[in-house]
Amino acid sequence: MDVSEQIHAELKKCGVRLAASLPDDWVAPLIRRLDADNDIRHVPVGRESEAVMVASGAFFGGVRSVAVIGNTGLLTCTGELATLNLRHQIPVFCIVSMRGSIDDHQIYQEVQGRRTIPVLQAYDFPYRVIDRPEEIGCIPDAYQWCRLQKRPFILFLTRALLKGRRWS
Amino acid sequence: MIAKEAIRVLAAHRGDAIAVCALGVAANEWWDATKAEDCFQMHGAMGFAASFALGLALSLPNVNIWIINSDGSLCMNPGCLLTEAAQAPRNLKHFVIDNQVYQTVGAVPMVNAGRTDYAGLARAAGIASTHTIDNVPEMEKQLPRLIAGPGPTFVVLRVEPDPSHINTPPVTYEGPEMKYRFGRALEKRFGISVFNSSGY
Repeated sequence: MDVSEQIHAELKKCGVRLAASLPDDWVAPLIRRLDADNDIRHVPVGRESEAVMVASGAFFGGVRSVAVIGNTGLLTCTGELATLNLRHQIPVFCIVSMRGSIDDHQIYQEVQGRRTIPVLQAYDFPYRVIDRPEEIGCIPDAYQWCRLQKRPFILFLTRALLKGRRWS
Repeated sequence: MIAKEAIRVLAAHRGDAIAVCALGVAANEWWDATKAEDCFQMHGAMGFAASFALGLALSLPNVNIWIINSDGSLCMNPGCLLTEAAQAPRNLKHFVIDNQVYQTVGAVPMVNAGRTDYAGLARAAGIASTHTIDNVPEMEKQLPRLIAGPGPTFVVLRVEPDPSHINTPPVTYEGPEMKYRFGRALEKRFGISVFNSSGY
């Protein structure tokens, strides 16, 4: 099982039936897998805030959902996550590629790598970083934690996990 | 017509529909007209009530979902129209109260006020059923057909700016209370589980 298959399988264990997404190249394989699953309604969007709001609406329909986006997109929707999800205590489970890490050599991701975690801490959004395949099994616990915390939860996937390690 | 009249007519035709209201005067008027428990009033995320309503509509495909949007909110997230068109939920009706101003901040003119054709935008985005109505008799005439037909349906209700709107108070529920009242109302009506046995 590759990493995307494993994550997909764990989301199924969580009962996820709706996935809203805007691709970052690291999570594009996961998005393609979710799109191919006939039991999951896939909602491609044009802006990441749409993804988290579609997922938030699904919560009230009793449907478990996930938003799959990139780190840059996460930063664009912190206002909506604060004023809707924090304001009303609505959980939303976000899977986010952790761009801007030391093994991500794209200059346009550098600020995201430095400032995303401090931003999340400022908002008091819980998060967890998955760096190794053997950690993927934590997803059901993370999903439950998101529900219990009643706020956005960010599950970061690292480059090492999604693209392989540059060093051993 | 003014927003209060448009909302009153809309509310009278809502039948069993569940409404999601974007923040602002339309939401306040909807609350004033309905006092409905099965309505979610967004306290934030301006522009994204339509996305929230889309997620709700896709999750409850046999329930009529209405989004009571505003021109200001639509201008903030016109991309919602593309997503709505792509998903094409038959149970979703999208109403936009178009008063051409940001009423709650003192009737400051909307961007490109009076020149943008919102129904045209929605049509170009791929929503086939789009309409603009600017008077009460026409609303009374057209609404039954538009509501009964399959969605997605996009209806602009063009109204006059009205300073008296600020005298209509917003919903009296706080953020978390709105969540629980709405969630519990949906659980009761549709037999679904929004919250678990521990209440979260």
